[in-house]
Amino acid sequence: MIRKLRTGTFHTGMTLLSLLWLAPVLWVVVMSVRSFDDIATNGVGSLPHSFTLDTYRQAWTDGGELRALVNSLLVTVPSVLLSLGLAAVAAYALSRYRIPGRRTILLLMLAGNLLPPQILLIPVQKFSELTGLYDTLWALIAVQVGFGLGFYTFVLHGFMRDLPGEIQEAATIDGAGPAQIFARVMLPLTRPALAALGALSFTWIFNDLLWAITVLRTDDRMPVTPALLALQGQFVSSWNVIAAGTVIAAVPTVAVFLRFQRHFISGLAIGAVK
Amino acid sequence: MRKGPPVTDFDPGRRRFLGNLGLAGLGALGAGSLLSACASSASGPAKGDSSGAVTLQSNLSSPQAKTAIEKLIETFNKQGKGTATVNTIASETFRTQLPTYLTSANPPDVYTWYAGSVANDYASKGLLLDVSDVWQGLGEYPQSLRTLSTDATGKQVFVPMTNYWWGFFYRKSNFAKWGVQEPKTWADFLALCETLKGKGVPPIGIGLGDTPWVASAWFDYLNIRINGAPFHRDLLAGRQRFDDPKVKAVFTRWREVLPYFDPKGKAYPFQEATTALLAGKTGMFLIGTFFADAAPKDALGDLDFFRFPIIDPAVPVAEEAPTDGFFASAKTRNPDGTKALLTYFTTAEAQEEYVRSSSGIVLPVHPKAKAADSPLVSKGKAMLASAAELTQFFNRDSSDALQPTADTALTKFMDKPDQIDAILREWQAGAEKVFKG
Repeated sequence: MIRKLRTGTFHTGMTLLSLLWLAPVLWVVVMSVRSFDDIATNGVGSLPHSFTLDTYRQAWTDGGELRALVNSLLVTVPSVLLSLGLAAVAAYALSRYRIPGRRTILLLMLAGNLLPPQILLIPVQKFSELTGLYDTLWALIAVQVGFGLGFYTFVLHGFMRDLPGEIQEAATIDGAGPAQIFARVMLPLTRPALAALGALSFTWIFNDLLWAITVLRTDDRMPVTPALLALQGQFVSSWNVIAAGTVIAAVPTVAVFLRFQRHFISGLAIGAVK
Repeated sequence: MRKGPPVTDFDPGRRRFLGNLGLAGLGALGAGSLLSACASSASGPAKGDSSGAVTLQSNLSSPQAKTAIEKLIETFNKQGKGTATVNTIASETFRTQLPTYLTSANPPDVYTWYAGSVANDYASKGLLLDVSDVWQGLGEYPQSLRTLSTDATGKQVFVPMTNYWWGFFYRKSNFAKWGVQEPKTWADFLALCETLKGKGVPPIGIGLGDTPWVASAWFDYLNIRINGAPFHRDLLAGRQRFDDPKVKAVFTRWREVLPYFDPKGKAYPFQEATTALLAGKTGMFLIGTFFADAAPKDALGDLDFFRFPIIDPAVPVAEEAPTDGFFASAKTRNPDGTKALLTYFTTAEAQEEYVRSSSGIVLPVHPKAKAADSPLVSKGKAMLASAAELTQFFNRDSSDALQPTADTALTKFMDKPDQIDAILREWQAGAEKVFKG
């Protein structure tokens, strides 16, 4: 009886909690199918009095969301691959070899992550201008790789350090050099961590706004987050179109997360128990 | 004591070294090819050379305004006096990034922005192009606009295109239902508020949540009605003090109407205050014409406004008429093309076309350009034309840095009107910091 009650309470409580968690998302979805006049008459918070899918068309064509999504992917995919690749190499070297000053290097990389990015906005902007990369997607890729590298290396270092040394020794005895050990032994073993980091970094880079508006100034090079912002007017915004645009923009990240979520959970759990 | 598995010694033996070298070489190769790829695609469309297209960096990001400016550029390109491209940036992003754009090595040529001291600030830093040439052809423009576009050294740095007005907006049908008329004087206004309050309607709508600057309209108007526009300008330029008794008089008047403000107005932004006004939940709303963009289309015909009531008939009537337009970067590589584009924006045809295609309520500044053909717009235009003086708005007449001090002071005053002396002292202290900074 008590057990039943407890299960019941648990389920009710958790359902309510999930609803609370999902409420803002649902709100955005509901808002995205309301007409502008409905929102203007009844306010953004009211129950819908209209239904339209035209908002999605407006966000897609007027908002230029297709190009923005393409830009986002052009930045996100290379950034994720490059930063994870470089971080894996760095983590491999730092965790498996007695490189002089490796602790300092690692701490420096971590320290870089503790800086608030806001204080680096102007230096980054000036530097990107100096290198002639200002207002190009390359600048954004470089910034994303640079800022992600420290954290990814730190995480991968922790992971690789805990891989059994015997595997590496066995590979060395079999005649494998460092590059071969890295490619054939370390990388496959690090896959869960890489997948988890990949999903995370994809989301972070895809959803970034700050760096995009710092190093870009041409509208048709903007990724999806500033493009969504551009749907806002100076004084008045069509919240329904913005909501529709947001729903569209969320699709790639949700897809990546669903694809990688298995790795994500196992990746988090690995290293938790020794 | 270190944990974890044994770490292989770093052994720079020949075989290992070669392996490492190979790895490093791979990295270098990758980086090299990447960099060269960057370099080749970095330049993008060649901008800034003296014959190239002029770039207009625009903050008109609402869909109608964006379409309107794009149409304008299209027409300009067809005329053969030069070529231009428009680059629309979210207005919020634009606001924060404008200094970066202007100071960058290869800046965009033309920018949408506001006239007045906000433009003059950039001019004083030598960032703006001298557009006196453009103004030489603008003999028909009123002197007030020329003064507004002139910087401290006497050269013109700004080219206006449109302006709009502020007023007490209301729904004609609601005023008819309540049986009330537009007030002319402060006494009429107080009587109107009392009547509406008696009918259970909060008389004065306002929206200060997220948009606290809306309260500055009240300060501006009370100040120009009581102390006049010259004092107002001096105050905002730091030549008068906020703890002056004349400023306190503004708040004494304001206190008379404080009980009539919509108590919910502190919580929501002006867009929702617009919704409340249209739904008849408030009686009237002191706001700029841009608020109409937040109104459903069927309500537009029902809107009307009256001018801020006259308090002291001896003070020349001034109105707020924020002027929008363009300025150009001093570093433009194509000054001739830039000026050609700016000249095009000053023509009656361009302004009429802009007003036609942007659904918003704006007035062209060219004296001969026709405004939109609606009773509301004619009334607004007539009001501005009859004003002895025009002001812009608090931040445009002072600076974006001074605006937050006003937001703090005014919000505090509306909460705790008793503490006005302390509030004004704090405001003065805050303003001094801004003026020194």
